[in-house]
Amino acid sequence: MLMQALHKEGVELIFGYPGGAALHVYDALFRQQDIEHILVRHEQGATHAADGYARSTGKPGVVLVTSGPGATNAVTGIATAFMDSIPMVVLSCQVASHLIGTDAFQETDMIGISRPIVKHSFTIEDQKDIPRIIKEAFHIAMTGRQGPVVIDIPKDMTAPDKLFDFAYPDEVNIRSYNPPVEPNDSQVQRAVNAILSAKKPVLYAGGGAISSNASNELWELNEILKAPVTNTLMGLGVYPASDKYFLGMLGMHGTYQANMAMHNSDLIIAIGARFDDRITNTPSLFAPNAKIIHLDIDYSSVSKIIEANIALFGEVKNSLRKIISLLKENLDQYDSDELIPWHKQIQDWKDLHGLNHDLYTDNSDNNMILPQSVVQHVYHQTNGNAYVTSDVGQHQMFAAQYYHFDEPRKWINSGSMGTMGFGLPAAMGVKLAHPDSEVVCITGEGSIQMCIQELSTCLQYNLPIKIININNEALGMVKQWQDMNYGGRHSESTYQNSLPDFVELSKSYGHEGIKIEKNSDLESGLAKAFAQKDKLVFVDIYVDPSEHVYPMLVAPNGSLKDIWLGKDKKA
Amino acid sequence: MIKRKILIILENKPGALARVVGLFHQRGYNIESLHVDAVEDTGPYKYLEDELNIELKPNEVSKMTITTTVNDNLLTQILRQINKLIDVLIANEEN
Repeated sequence: MLMQALHKEGVELIFGYPGGAALHVYDALFRQQDIEHILVRHEQGATHAADGYARSTGKPGVVLVTSGPGATNAVTGIATAFMDSIPMVVLSCQVASHLIGTDAFQETDMIGISRPIVKHSFTIEDQKDIPRIIKEAFHIAMTGRQGPVVIDIPKDMTAPDKLFDFAYPDEVNIRSYNPPVEPNDSQVQRAVNAILSAKKPVLYAGGGAISSNASNELWELNEILKAPVTNTLMGLGVYPASDKYFLGMLGMHGTYQANMAMHNSDLIIAIGARFDDRITNTPSLFAPNAKIIHLDIDYSSVSKIIEANIALFGEVKNSLRKIISLLKENLDQYDSDELIPWHKQIQDWKDLHGLNHDLYTDNSDNNMILPQSVVQHVYHQTNGNAYVTSDVGQHQMFAAQYYHFDEPRKWINSGSMGTMGFGLPAAMGVKLAHPDSEVVCITGEGSIQMCIQELSTCLQYNLPIKIININNEALGMVKQWQDMNYGGRHSESTYQNSLPDFVELSKSYGHEGIKIEKNSDLESGLAKAFAQKDKLVFVDIYVDPSEHVYPMLVAPNGSLKDIWLGKDKKA
Repeated sequence: MIKRKILIILENKPGALARVVGLFHQRGYNIESLHVDAVEDTGPYKYLEDELNIELKPNEVSKMTITTTVNDNLLTQILRQINKLIDVLIANEEN
């Protein structure tokens, strides 16, 4: 019954790991053809893979785990999806109903453990409810502000001896759940009035614009406005990075011009973005002269950190459409040429302290390989078309800064939760969803070891991912903070020569491996890796361990114009 | 900072209470008093039935009152967070 319901919901792939309480479900899985199951090596991998699948397709990821440790191992991945508002349904098996509360073998209160990190959760108390609960779970995961939903399934609820007539509901009716869809017209009018009178506007788009599939509407809006656009870490790709109006990412490691533009603007149009602490720096110092228009589907995201002057609650896509159509009626009142001085100012900032995107042209062996240069090479060798997953740390920021994403859903990273170990399993989910596309996991030697067991899964399902391991032999971002704020005391951020030989490790898992230590070998080594279309290649690249990520906002007590540009250089 | 009374109408289901109470802890708000009862007489909630276009049956929903000491901005945020819970029909400040 569970399998039929999932099939009705359009599920093609499930990521999971069997165990005692899940055996009835796994037997049902075995006896059907519609849904493929991917056996991971750790339940955390299952959740991240389902997450990568969801982020890259817009469809919900589905996870199946057993009770007890199976469920608790999934917790990190559920929290990751929750913090980034990724739709996911987690089928978490449970001991039989009569054993609940008895401290039975592999019993844990998964509903209790996961409560703060799910959008909603269900326990199945009657087998007949399975179709309705599955329907509601997918509906809740996919609508409103998206997120993970856990379904706790006691073993007796999947017992094969009890049979029911299967009827899948056509529609969902949850009377207490009515997320906003269309924005209020008077707020749309106010938003357009504010846009028409702005001299220094900035469009600031985040992950919500991607969830809402609003990149076409964003493009259309800016065809009219011709305003500068910045994206959050979660929003990269929703506006094409190669467009002349794109400022790059903003926030803690955002570009100088993006942060300066935000700080000095007179109108910020926030589109599915939530002013989190990595964006605003000190909220009381944030963009002192800017009026805020906030488009969001979640009431609680608006005016939480930064007070919005105008709020459009609804699907971001719909809100943008309404703004566009009202703007079109008032085109005679808008002249994008009035923004020329503003663009000129932004160009000056960019010329002064913009990122150098030509580091990759230096192949001299006098210098160690720069991590930034690795990302630039990867960008050029994949023609900017790859799906890029990342882990968490310096390599993640370098990837976000130097790989230019022109399309949404191609940059897959754990933004809010910052989950190390995300990159490789997420890349598996992406590759399974897009088998003909290049999928690159940009990682570091710290993060990759947190879910490295999934190399085995990659062999089983033949997933020719390219792993770019930016190896600085240290927990780089921790070390950077220790350099900057703790007098260079590298407390527990290095490994004392205990790293594995990643090339041999990869080979022992049945894959290829390439080690690169010299600048002059970088281009050819990467080319060799990307030429092996049918193989997973682990490229272990030794980079300059002293390199820091810049720009970096000065914190605490800084604003968006207080920026470190280098080790001894402040804006 | 003044004492506020929040009135919540939520589904009378296992776990619904825990979601509300848990939310206060997760978001760093304090509960000073808490009272929950199943709603037997749905008469006073006619307005809610009209607003949500639903019909309430006896004991189907619970009425919860929570007092907490917060400023205006935080109260708005708390109410929005509570209203976001799937099992909550409505949460308001009680006057």
